[in-house]
Amino acid sequence: MFRRSLVWWLLVVAAAVVFGLMTQSERVLTLAIQTFIFGALASSWNILGGFAGQVSLGHAAFFGIGALVTRELWLDGRPLAVAVAIALVATAVAASVVGVPMLRLRGIYFAVGTLALGVGVWLTAGNLWPGISSLPVDALRGYEFTGPYFMALGVVTVTVALSIWLRRSKMGLGMMAVREDEEAAAATGVNALAYKMMAFVISAVLAALAGAAFAYFSVSYYPQFPFSVVWTFEAITVVFVGGVGTIIGPLVGAAFFVTGRDVLSSTFPELQVIAFGVLFILVVLVLPGGFVEGGERLHERISRRRTSQHQQATPDATPDATARESVKMEGKEKV
Amino acid sequence: MTQLVVQSALSGLLVGGMYGLVALGLALAFGVLNVLNVAHGELVMIGGYAAFFLFSEVGVDPLLSLPLVFVILFIFGMGLYQLLFRFIVRFDIETRIKNSLLISFGLVLILQAVAVFLFTGDDRTIVTGYSSNALVIGIVRIPWIRLAGLLLAVVAAFSLEWLLNRTTFGHSIRATSEDWSLAALTGIDVRRVYMIAFAISAALAGLAGSMVSLGYSVSPSIGLSWTLKALIVIVFAGLGSMRGIVVAGMLLGLIEGLSSVWVGNAYRGVVALVVFLLVLSVRPQGLFGRGSGAHV
Amino acid sequence: MLLAVIALLVAACGSDDGGGGDTTAAGTETTEGATETTEGATETTEGASETTEGAMEAPEAIYLGAVVPQTGAFAGGGAQVVRGYTYAVEAINAAGGVYVEQYDTNLPLELILRDDESDPNKTTAIMEEVAGEGIVAYLGGFASPLHAAGTAVGEKNQIPYLGVATALQALHEQGYEYFFSPFPKSPDIAVSVYEMLNGLIAEGERPTRVGIFQEATDWGEELGALWADEAANFGYEVVLHETYAPGTEDFTDIILRAQAADVQALLSLPTPPDGFNIYKQMGELGWKPPFNLVVRAADVPTWNDLGDVGDGVLLSAGWHPDLGFEGIGPVNDRHIEEEGRPADPIVGGSYALVQILADAIERAGTLDTTAIRDQLAATDMDTVVGHITFRENGTAPIENPLMQRQDGRVVLVWPEGGAAGELVYPAN
Repeated sequence: MFRRSLVWWLLVVAAAVVFGLMTQSERVLTLAIQTFIFGALASSWNILGGFAGQVSLGHAAFFGIGALVTRELWLDGRPLAVAVAIALVATAVAASVVGVPMLRLRGIYFAVGTLALGVGVWLTAGNLWPGISSLPVDALRGYEFTGPYFMALGVVTVTVALSIWLRRSKMGLGMMAVREDEEAAAATGVNALAYKMMAFVISAVLAALAGAAFAYFSVSYYPQFPFSVVWTFEAITVVFVGGVGTIIGPLVGAAFFVTGRDVLSSTFPELQVIAFGVLFILVVLVLPGGFVEGGERLHERISRRRTSQHQQATPDATPDATARESVKMEGKEKV
Repeated sequence: MTQLVVQSALSGLLVGGMYGLVALGLALAFGVLNVLNVAHGELVMIGGYAAFFLFSEVGVDPLLSLPLVFVILFIFGMGLYQLLFRFIVRFDIETRIKNSLLISFGLVLILQAVAVFLFTGDDRTIVTGYSSNALVIGIVRIPWIRLAGLLLAVVAAFSLEWLLNRTTFGHSIRATSEDWSLAALTGIDVRRVYMIAFAISAALAGLAGSMVSLGYSVSPSIGLSWTLKALIVIVFAGLGSMRGIVVAGMLLGLIEGLSSVWVGNAYRGVVALVVFLLVLSVRPQGLFGRGSGAHV
Repeated sequence: MLLAVIALLVAACGSDDGGGGDTTAAGTETTEGATETTEGATETTEGASETTEGAMEAPEAIYLGAVVPQTGAFAGGGAQVVRGYTYAVEAINAAGGVYVEQYDTNLPLELILRDDESDPNKTTAIMEEVAGEGIVAYLGGFASPLHAAGTAVGEKNQIPYLGVATALQALHEQGYEYFFSPFPKSPDIAVSVYEMLNGLIAEGERPTRVGIFQEATDWGEELGALWADEAANFGYEVVLHETYAPGTEDFTDIILRAQAADVQALLSLPTPPDGFNIYKQMGELGWKPPFNLVVRAADVPTWNDLGDVGDGVLLSAGWHPDLGFEGIGPVNDRHIEEEGRPADPIVGGSYALVQILADAIERAGTLDTTAIRDQLAATDMDTVVGHITFRENGTAPIENPLMQRQDGRVVLVWPEGGAAGELVYPAN
């Protein structure tokens, strides 16, 4: 089962590679790159928020650090790979330092604590780097999408691969145990803080990687921008709309978000934002588990219809399914 | 120098009163309904526009129009609840928070865009005859409009506490927030309680908006920064106390004001956030919070 | 033509949202004045910025991509920009359009107007989108952050980018060839205020103690430094130089410090709404210096909401209808009729951009963007902002007029003479 899904993933990556080599349309390439970066950022948040259940609202801080360090070093003359490597290391250190006090907080305290951190870093970045960061003239004249495309593709592939591995690993199990019930997990000997730290740092480093891809792709932007809380909010939105805790959820959500926004902005320039907000709310109300859950339910409905065609439909079969569904909809019963 | 310090501290306290006022409504929604409404700042914005147009078109003084703004936003809040939030209150706490976060995010987009469409993107501000007047005590000046904001915050906090603790309705709100299925069993109309609580939360945002229009300026995009401030104040105060919220807000403002003096205006926000984080690391449940900061 | 079809096919197959497959009938856009927004992105190359060699089939119009902040912090200024572009496009089209030799016909100008929500990141994204719609030039928005982001895109796509309402000199020092901005820059602004003070006020009465409120942005740093450097050259002393982060709510400390330093001339360049808030709070704290220059923030018509406390402040917005340049009359008349007041400062500059562009296109005789760019560089004409020629870095020798808000009106006070009014000083 795993091998099958692995093959499926590899095919997807291969298709993306081919697509990247063949497409000429700048607009499509831009959308693809944005989808990859968003997907990577969302997936990275998913590791901390979805797997380990810690809702961080300061995620953009790491995205920003990754972008800033990469951009500064790269425009200064270092090779891109070196710049990225240093950015990742810097982020890992920052996340480790910050994670220790942060992770002592729980629930909304953790959320707002990380929010404060994120906003503080954003303010500082704006004060220290007020000037625009534009590619130098020669780089502008010779700008090609190929490089950024494959870097973004690489970044999202690495992030997804790591997510897949994590989900099946002991570390991932530990994280999920903490998510379900931190006290219970601790009682059974799980070092909750350690697992949370791992999730925090991994998630931060992957966010920084996405930031590096952003820095490599962008023509001109203000260094403060990647630190903006809007990135965090949009990433979280993408994760939940797609399906939190799943692997494919953040990717589906990212694709929907990026292309949806683009389509709407060309079709309804004035109403674009309203239309997107409405669309968004509808998705949330109708599919609280995100697109992945929607897909699962659809799949269920289809396969149920198939099996009931093969067998006689017994009165017992359907109530179970609906009972299961209604339990799902109620969410977990928590004390 | 003394004047600078004292005045900065005072101005900080007054600004902080505003932070507290904005945070009150959000605290009510979150504490009672477990609804995390990140569009709260947009409700503040709407209140601000309501006060502005009542002033500029009808000529009603913003302080006098407060009750009217309260009613307008109360109705608006009821409408929002009926339209959107009532669908998620049957979920458990965690799901509720997640979904309300998402829905309100969509709401932010919509409300901002509608505001731009209706009012244009320009900044508007209310300047009355007394806008520059201040109470002068020795070397300090206490501008009346900012004092009004602080007083409003205090009155609102006390009223809210009274409502929650001393009225039957308040008891039903608290019962419902503890365990809504149990509350329903005792005959409380859960849905009505939720709706009214949410409407009050919106109305409080409206009041804050009036003061923002008077003391600062209002434009379609101001919502997010006020929401962020409110969230920080709520956690700073800790869940559970309404009075604590205004105090926490004032404290935050005070820290900002004083830090300006030594660190400069550009970093006042950063210093306040750092102090906030330090306090949180020592007291994870917030300044006045009950509980260990462990629960959601 | 074949290339276009293949490109369409590839885009359609590659695009997962079908957005690339939209077609809009180009004919739906043209109305008499042709300033409507286009709906839907067209991948057709009819607009012809690339390959028009040999194709004698003229496009429907000359498309200009205007990405302007119509919402957000700079919406007030953005509205002025839109007005300027619209008036100019309509005036030129009414006079017959632009003659393009390549097709031996007159073509109308058409604005593709998009809102970047005062967000430089949206500016770049939308500019990229719009590039695919066959535009021959970008018309910029309002405020340095947006231009700073946008000019790089223009350079990358080799499409001329014309903009006003940006004084950031640094933008012109990057070696760009496609950026043209006939607008006063920081060095011009920095000098003009001191020149004006010395020119209009007698020596013993000048506000020699200067205070600077600098916002923590690139332009803040640039202009703040220039104000400080130039002061001594003209006999002024900087007694206060404070920095603040844009978006701050409370300016008490910097205001009090300015008061304590007995600042007589306050120079600032705030992003809206900071300008509002600073002056409002000055009113509350009961102090206002006799001379105030508020670059950028006081440009918006809603500054009048401030009432007395905002009165008497000076603006450095680059242009004023009373400057008396050729062609201002009809523009001003139309503005008075439609908006109820004389033309706002930025309307003039943006109007001039379209004039300059139309002239360059005619001289180029083609819609090739590089040819147009070369002709832009060779501009030598009279516009509503005066006589314009461009330096190699894209700036133009241009005077920086200063205006003052007096009783709700914007009065030209410098350079003196002509229709200029009197400076109200002291203004507190």
